[in-house]
Amino acid sequence: MAEHHSRVNDVVDNHEDAEHHIVSIPLYLMVFGVLIVGTILTVLVAFIDLDHIFPGANTLVALTIALVKMTFVVLWFMHVKYSSKLIWLTALAGFFWLAIMFAFTMQDYLTRSSGVFTR
Amino acid sequence: MATHSDAHEHHYHPPGLQHQFEDMGQQQESGTLGMWMFLVQEIMFFGGMFTVYLVFRSKYPMAFAAGSNHLDVYWGAANTVVLIVSSLTMALAVHFAQLGKRNLQVILIIITMILGTVFLGVKAVEYTAKYKEGIVPITGLNQRTEKLFKESKEGTGTAQGRVGRQDPLESLNTGLGEKGGEHGEEHYTNVKGDFQWKDTSLVAIAQEGNYLTESEKIGYFNNGEISQVKFQDKVRIFFYIYFVMTGLHALHMIIGLAIMTWLLWKAWRGTFTRDYYAPVEITGLYWHFVDIVWIFLFPLLYLLGRHFGGGHG
Repeated sequence: MAEHHSRVNDVVDNHEDAEHHIVSIPLYLMVFGVLIVGTILTVLVAFIDLDHIFPGANTLVALTIALVKMTFVVLWFMHVKYSSKLIWLTALAGFFWLAIMFAFTMQDYLTRSSGVFTR
Repeated sequence: MATHSDAHEHHYHPPGLQHQFEDMGQQQESGTLGMWMFLVQEIMFFGGMFTVYLVFRSKYPMAFAAGSNHLDVYWGAANTVVLIVSSLTMALAVHFAQLGKRNLQVILIIITMILGTVFLGVKAVEYTAKYKEGIVPITGLNQRTEKLFKESKEGTGTAQGRVGRQDPLESLNTGLGEKGGEHGEEHYTNVKGDFQWKDTSLVAIAQEGNYLTESEKIGYFNNGEISQVKFQDKVRIFFYIYFVMTGLHALHMIIGLAIMTWLLWKAWRGTFTRDYYAPVEITGLYWHFVDIVWIFLFPLLYLLGRHFGGGHG
């Protein structure tokens, strides 16, 4: 009975820490600034030919900027930075399964001979 | 028995607390976790479409670039900014809900809803342009331009005033516009409202630069000649993906607006307090997720081919 009681209280204490963090308005505005700068940057870079450096460089830069923007949204707008480990794990698991889907699909398509779709 | 005595020990019992939870913190955590579980399946839902995009783009990069260059960067970028601002206002709505400030909360939810509506309005403008240009990939869902063809041949003033005027002709950037007037009109007739794509210039550029993929060498050519019909099929794939992905994204926006209508009503009645603001927080999670999807859709659909050939289009 006593053991059960203390365990419950521990869990409750955890929640108190995790849930009552209020992100300040200046911090929200800074995240917003990063997102706007990222958007402007991604448009400007798209018109410069980076594929001369190596094929796909333009797409790589665009995706890197998008990933940075996503990270800022997830951590601050979605409060994951201040959430419990369980929420962190859930969010990361989503992207992990997504990576599996991409990787396993492409290891098939990219190693097939060409013309699969046209013949 | 233990849970009962616990609940009474805390004696402060907020009105939003459901009986199966110890306190508001646990209740909120459970709701947030549940929402994240939903968002993980949403990641996989959109992920399936991103996988389709990945497979086809890796096969036909030039067809994707040609289709992408034809989308309107300005509308796309403007919509990105609109959505980011709406994400900020949603985050601030959650912020003021956490502080228990009803009025600011209500105002920010309204602003978020207005911005969401603006986004959908811009998408409607873009879709309409595609309809008039004849690049909706489904036969029959494009503007039929037979009538326009006949009337412009007659050359009467009244005819010009009627059907869609010069727009479908002038804005058509499928390659024949450059060939000029006298034969141009004939090519623009689209009796069945079919998908039409004439511009194969990017194939020629890629052939010259020697960076066609193996599947492109088969997929765009007929006996060594660039085949407009075969290339058109590949560009059509891009527009299928464009319409399905942006369409389902827009559907998510519409659902978000419906949820926010309910949220606004609750906030208006002062339901949310410092202790009970979970619905605002969870709606925020959903809205930010929809924003993230667009953060990826914008560069992948609108910007991918801009660096080819000076980004004409």
